[in-house]
Amino acid sequence: MKTDNDILVKIENLVMHFPIYRGVIRRQVGAVRAVDGVSLEIRQGETLGLVGESGCGKTTVGRTILQLYKPTSGHVYYKGTDLAKLKPEPMRLMRKDLQMIFQDPYASLNPRMTVRDIIGDPMFAFGEASGKQIDERVQELLKLVRLDPDFANRYPHEFSGGQRQRIGVARALTTNPSFIVCDEPISALDVSIQAQVVNLLEDLQRDLGLTYLFIAHDLSMVRHISDRVAVMYLGVVVELADRNEIYDNPLHPYTKALLSAIPVPDPTFYETRQRIILEGDVPSPANPPSGCRFRTRCPIADESCALERPEFREVSPGHFVACIKVGMQTNTKEVINQESV
Amino acid sequence: MAEKILDVQGLETQFKTPEGIVHAVNGVSIHLDEGETLGLVGESGCGKSVTMLSILRLIQSPPGQIVAGKAIFKGSDLLAMSQEEIRQVRGGQISMIFQDPMTSLNPVMNIGKQMAEPMLLHLGITPKEARERSIKLLESVGIPRAGERLKDYPHQYSGGMRQRVMIAMALSCNPQILIADEPTTALDVTIQAQIVDLVIRLRQELGMAIIWITHDLGVAASIANRIAVMYGGFIIEEAAVKELYANPSHPYTLGLINSLPQIQRKGRQRLYSIEGMPPILLQTPKACPFAPRCRWVREKCWQQNPMLESIGENHKVACWVDTTTGSER
Ligand SMILES: Nc1ncnc2c1ncn2[C@@H]1O[C@H](COP(=O)(O)OP(=O)(O)O)[C@@H](O)[C@H]1O
Ligand SMILES: Nc1ncnc2c1ncn2[C@@H]1O[C@H](COP(=O)(O)OP(=O)(O)O)[C@@H](O)[C@H]1O
Ligand SMILES: [Mg+2]
Ligand SMILES: [Mg+2]
Repeated sequence: MKTDNDILVKIENLVMHFPIYRGVIRRQVGAVRAVDGVSLEIRQGETLGLVGESGCGKTTVGRTILQLYKPTSGHVYYKGTDLAKLKPEPMRLMRKDLQMIFQDPYASLNPRMTVRDIIGDPMFAFGEASGKQIDERVQELLKLVRLDPDFANRYPHEFSGGQRQRIGVARALTTNPSFIVCDEPISALDVSIQAQVVNLLEDLQRDLGLTYLFIAHDLSMVRHISDRVAVMYLGVVVELADRNEIYDNPLHPYTKALLSAIPVPDPTFYETRQRIILEGDVPSPANPPSGCRFRTRCPIADESCALERPEFREVSPGHFVACIKVGMQTNTKEVINQESV
Repeated sequence: MAEKILDVQGLETQFKTPEGIVHAVNGVSIHLDEGETLGLVGESGCGKSVTMLSILRLIQSPPGQIVAGKAIFKGSDLLAMSQEEIRQVRGGQISMIFQDPMTSLNPVMNIGKQMAEPMLLHLGITPKEARERSIKLLESVGIPRAGERLKDYPHQYSGGMRQRVMIAMALSCNPQILIADEPTTALDVTIQAQIVDLVIRLRQELGMAIIWITHDLGVAASIANRIAVMYGGFIIEEAAVKELYANPSHPYTLGLINSLPQIQRKGRQRLYSIEGMPPILLQTPKACPFAPRCRWVREKCWQQNPMLESIGENHKVACWVDTTTGSER
């Protein structure tokens, strides 16, 4: 593996299949191919946005990076170390560096634990701090996420959704991690609270030098927070580019459709916008289409798209796309514009 | 001048709970013109659903109670009708679709039966005619092989398809008003775009008026002609759609619009954020409900809740302060 100091996390050909069992003897009859060959690099200090519709495998990518699932195949390197090869004890210590913030601020906090115990728990787990040290750290963390330090003895139900998400952020920060998977951290929050949490995450990144994998389905928020954006569809990454490049010059037909479906808070926008309306639903990940997975809904697909998995190739510096129709870029654009609306 | 098809005046709805009385809707007045789409926008808990459920008399009592108001639909007050009269209106002239189709679909009855039922009740047609009409409706909302799919049960449809079925059912009795309560909130963006486009097409074909409830200012911009913004059980701003987004005037609307990241924006500016939290509705509201979070707040705002007043053509706002100048109106 190429060692690049700039790269904090490197995922190579990551595959995560969940077996499907049937019958009384629980025979395996198939597999949900949740993640099916994903390669990504996440650079030190950046935010990589990961977008795609529900069920496309975003959470599974995040959890597999953190080794919460043992991948079916492929590798996850953190600072050059292959995490799957680590023995339990070194892996346990490694977990201090790798944390996660969850989507649901209601379900992800234990209702019977106080805020102090929730936030201090990772320190107990690593067994290296006295009660007083934990108290001090909890106070410090509460201030860091802009909550009143006096809240330490309260329980989760006493807080609003936005406050709970701050508690979730504080808990993720307890062990001083370098890398955090933010799994749709604002999806469940009210609109007026989302900006508060996003601003907090940005401030923490700047002050603590954090690296984020930011998972979301809200493409406008992802553009705001990310340095680069990866688009997933049915277990694979179909496009990856810098934040402005992917929005200004999307190449994959799925990315184009996704961008054209963003609800924009500007009524004049809809007078001129050409929407690409996709037909039908996403196929089941237990039985994905052959060749290109998007071909069953793609406005420009033909027979050749069914033959092989399209290669994820770099079409311009830093801009990767998996589509055999992309190459003569202007052509693709014309075809799509004709077929849209 | 368009005719008002629905005129809600001074609606107040409360819930008795162990913690006290929840003042969910606090004197809401809104109207709907024939053929127009009104977007009702606001964060969760601000009273959007309770407003609509009150109009249709679907508030469970206890704990809920409509304590004041009128809802005039074609000359008669929905809130004063007998149970029998309101049943005739509901699902017929006024129909409703919800965020989660599974709550309004019967899981153990096939789609064909469920679609036929309201038509038999409201249209007085034969079962055979109802079946034919169901197939036509399902086709018009884009369900493939509609004839065969009538015998399928709700769980055999995907989320997007179920919402289409709900729309087909809601349209089956030629409603004059369609009330859509966050019908796309649970769906992915590409499916949401399909549904919004479908409703825009059907509205052109059928000419019904629509109340579209959403917390998403983007979705509201894409479908509504006029927008009413709710906060803490009040309508705090109301304007024609372009006017609202071009000149948001209530500090809350202004804050909400500015807190959204702009997809067209290249630079990385910090998001504007409204500090604090939405109100808890346990007190009788005397002050402006937004006062605790407002950067324009002044003494008067704590003493008296401003009424919704006209500030221009097609634009009303409930605020003591002119946010363009920062001085009192
Ligand atoms: N623990 C699991 N067991 C079986 N299937 C799973 C599990 N977790 C996720 N899946 C399936 O894998 C696919 C991808 O899920 P997920 O990663 O949660 O998607 P996303 O986060 O993009 O919505 C889905 O079809 C989901 O049902
Ligand atoms: N059955 C009920 N019992 C008590 N409170 C209720 C009930 N239904 C709604 N409420 C309260 O009424 C307020 C308005 O709710 P709702 O209209 O559902 O908001 P939304 O704008 O999200 O649709 C909320 O504070 C909610 O908690
Ligand atoms: Mg997920
Ligand atoms: Mg609601």
